[in-house]
Amino acid sequence: MKSAIALALLSALLATPAAAQSGDPKAELAKLKPKDFPTGPIEYTVVYPAGGGMDVTARLLAKYVEKWSGDKIVVNNRTGGAGMVGHAYLATQAKPDGYTVGVVANLLWGDAMLRAQGRWAYTDLEPIAYLNSDPLVWVGPTDGPYKGMSVKQIVQIAKDKPNTVRVATVPGSMWEYILDQVEANSGAKFLRVPFQGGGAGINALAGGNVDIAQGFFSEFRGLADAGKVAPLGVAAPERLSFLKDTPTMNEALGGNEYQWIIIRFAVVPKGTPADRKAYLGAAINAAMRDPELVAEYLKAGVYFDPKLTDPARMEANLKAYAEAEREFYQKTGRLK
Amino acid sequence: MFERALNIFWILLGGAAAAYAWTLGLVGPSVPDSGLFPFISALIVMGAGVVLLLRSPVEAAAPDFPRGAALARVLGVAAGLAFMAASIPYLGFAVAGFVTMIILLRAVEKSGWLFSIALAFISVVVVVWLFGQVLGMTLPRGPWGW
Amino acid sequence: MDAVGGLLTGFGVILTPENLYLCFLGSLIGTLVGVLPGVGPLAALALLLPITFTLTPVGGMVMLASIFYGAMYGGSTTSILLNIPGEAASVVTCFDGHQMAKQGRAGAALGIAAIGSFVAGTLGVIVMTFFAPAIAAVAIRFGPPENFALMVLGVICTLYMIGGSLVKGVLMVALGFLTAAIGIDVVNGRERFTFGSIDLSAGIELLAVVIGLFGVTEVLSNVERIVKSTVVTDRIRGLWPTLADWRASWRPMLRGSGLGFFLGLVPGGGPVTASFMSYALEKRISAHPERFGKGAIEGVAGPESANNAAVAGSIIPVLSLGIPGNPVTALLLGALVIQGIQPGPLFIAQRPDLFWGIVASMYVGNVFLLLLNLPLVGLWAQLLRIPYRVLFPIVLLLSVVGTYSANKNVFDLWVMLGFGLLGYVLHKLEYDLAPFVIALVLAPLLEQSLRQSLAMSPDGAMIFLQRPGTALMLTACAVLVALMFRRAKKS
Repeated sequence: MKSAIALALLSALLATPAAAQSGDPKAELAKLKPKDFPTGPIEYTVVYPAGGGMDVTARLLAKYVEKWSGDKIVVNNRTGGAGMVGHAYLATQAKPDGYTVGVVANLLWGDAMLRAQGRWAYTDLEPIAYLNSDPLVWVGPTDGPYKGMSVKQIVQIAKDKPNTVRVATVPGSMWEYILDQVEANSGAKFLRVPFQGGGAGINALAGGNVDIAQGFFSEFRGLADAGKVAPLGVAAPERLSFLKDTPTMNEALGGNEYQWIIIRFAVVPKGTPADRKAYLGAAINAAMRDPELVAEYLKAGVYFDPKLTDPARMEANLKAYAEAEREFYQKTGRLK
Repeated sequence: MFERALNIFWILLGGAAAAYAWTLGLVGPSVPDSGLFPFISALIVMGAGVVLLLRSPVEAAAPDFPRGAALARVLGVAAGLAFMAASIPYLGFAVAGFVTMIILLRAVEKSGWLFSIALAFISVVVVVWLFGQVLGMTLPRGPWGW
Repeated sequence: MDAVGGLLTGFGVILTPENLYLCFLGSLIGTLVGVLPGVGPLAALALLLPITFTLTPVGGMVMLASIFYGAMYGGSTTSILLNIPGEAASVVTCFDGHQMAKQGRAGAALGIAAIGSFVAGTLGVIVMTFFAPAIAAVAIRFGPPENFALMVLGVICTLYMIGGSLVKGVLMVALGFLTAAIGIDVVNGRERFTFGSIDLSAGIELLAVVIGLFGVTEVLSNVERIVKSTVVTDRIRGLWPTLADWRASWRPMLRGSGLGFFLGLVPGGGPVTASFMSYALEKRISAHPERFGKGAIEGVAGPESANNAAVAGSIIPVLSLGIPGNPVTALLLGALVIQGIQPGPLFIAQRPDLFWGIVASMYVGNVFLLLLNLPLVGLWAQLLRIPYRVLFPIVLLLSVVGTYSANKNVFDLWVMLGFGLLGYVLHKLEYDLAPFVIALVLAPLLEQSLRQSLAMSPDGAMIFLQRPGTALMLTACAVLVALMFRRAKKS
């Protein structure tokens, strides 16, 4: 039921710019196809390991892009360094000839600003289409001393008894940043346990090895349905349609700075010819309007950010998000 | 002679790594920091190098490194692999592999020209087909598209 | 649904022409992938994932799963014949398997490897059938302190394995730790030993190291001596394991199965760790440990069983809880998600057809693989008759492709060459290379779990004593170390 409503809303949202171009999407797309392109498979590069959230997103996307454009898409994982290797490859080595499309997330901004050490910048990758957004969610146990508590209660405990509440975190990324914010604003002190990804932290939570985990809906949904973990707070501007009973972190703690969302989008290396770039973007947008793909994505627990779903304004708003993140780094002393 | 050189190498390597690890920081707030494990490992390498160096005059057996033709063969193989690694980005896998195989077959083991070319060609074709088509892997292509 | 009922359901699901065909196809591809050096199940699964879109969920999962354990069958082939590991879980088989091949006993080695794989695979599935949910509930409680204790146990087993000079062995272990540190420190995200290079920031690729250290080193050593002849200079003595071989092997097979299954359950464990620890165990228990490294069949039977049992072990957390313990099972999970299925604790209850179908397919798949691999033993053994001057360029070509397939990065080829040369020199100077590789494999998880454990403990190092499983394992480690000193003092 919730999916149906979301689907209807989304279709209405996406239909607005789409209504401007009437007619069969496949025909529209064919009109944009540049001459002699593509003559071979197009690579969708994913910088995270196969089977993960990003990878699943990319593979679903590829399936529907193939359906609408008729081109062959090959999904390739270039992993390593928590995304660094793949991002660097896309920014510096991939040929800007239209045969490489990166399916990336806003995590690349952190890599570019904090870790690239001048070797590349996020502007070396030009966004061509928006995919979806996935907010970070605080997840708590259904067993043990902290069961049934709200975010506010747990933060209070972390304040009263510093260094006793164990939180799973992924160093160098939004998992850490939100903890910094919470600790700074409330005076609480958590015991941070580092993991390589959100999923590993959630597994640790289910096993009783940490008290709070942070992750994405697709990572904990199975365990939540089985009652092993419970979502406590969503770091998004509004409640998620499929987690109606879970407050946002802003609601739980007050203020509006607790927004940490993975934004997934597609990029091409800078310098890709404009007509190929437009075609690749249009192909993805056509796939994104397919109700089946939308339904699949919704099942994975994402939402669609209204600021980014309009292709005309996507690039500008994405850049605004990126610069806002840069400001955050400067404000918190991570970037000079 | 080689033993001593290697032992000295261990000591230098261990020392350099330990110094670098030191700069990474050894201990954070109650938790080991990035440098601790490498630091300890580097010290062990260095220490082992010292122990081996002190012991080595006693052990007399010299390692039998190859001479003459045997050495040429070994270096030839190494050179062949180096050539392959260096040329793949420019020539693409197929051509680089073809040329390398011919080099190895001719220079290292003195097989006949016709035989070398035929074997190299067949091997490369089979490998490219197996990995490229059957398994769907994208092998690097040369400027001529394959 | 109880186990037997479930199994009957499963067989009902799998015994259709389409699903049987997919199981067979997956077994075939898995064997092929295992035989080809470098290309492992992960690469194959990632490449073949799109095909599952057109299949039913059962069909797709059956095929993917059979590729996974199929690769463990095929992986021993090039290890035994050419000293090139088919994938990381078959490195250990090189040690004794290739020596056996050189002695003309390739057939026996290949046969025992196949049968050990079958025994372990089947036993693993049997345990899975009856105990999956219970085991999963225990496995999930394995946290950083338990992982740490397990890794320490692994390192101590490594020290047992060291043949020859202990000092050189310890140096190799420390070097392995150092090499493992190159890259990004997962605990705090900082770069270590990367010197600004993007390639180094990804770390040193294990596959490049093992193919270089074993495959390339072997070729370099061989071209020194062998000019016109073949790898095997002795007459090939029979193609099948002898009775003596059986008697020596059946117990390592069982031990390997048990050890491998347990290690497969643990996150970060898996077939690679299982094979190494099985080898160390067999060497430790053996009445004549000096035979290891010279063609002891226990050194093939144990590890080959262990890596197959580990596959069954690692599939349990995925199917019972939706928790992947290694990259391959993570991919299996992703495949389920793409099919629209949500894995998790409710999976067995919600989709008994799928769960039991996969379980049943594993019985069938293991039979297929045995039937596929045993007859090939004769064929593979004949491969060694090819004159080496023809064989070695092909071997090198395969090594290059295999290494490249890991990350599609030419840098790895240089790593392979570098370690090939290093291995050649070290081999000449009588260094044992195995401890280096094991340290390389175990170090990251050991360091990570130690630091995680300390991070999650308000009482610092006390956490290792507070948790029963950890305390038990660490006590076992202490006992082993004490025994080691006693042995050293005696001799």
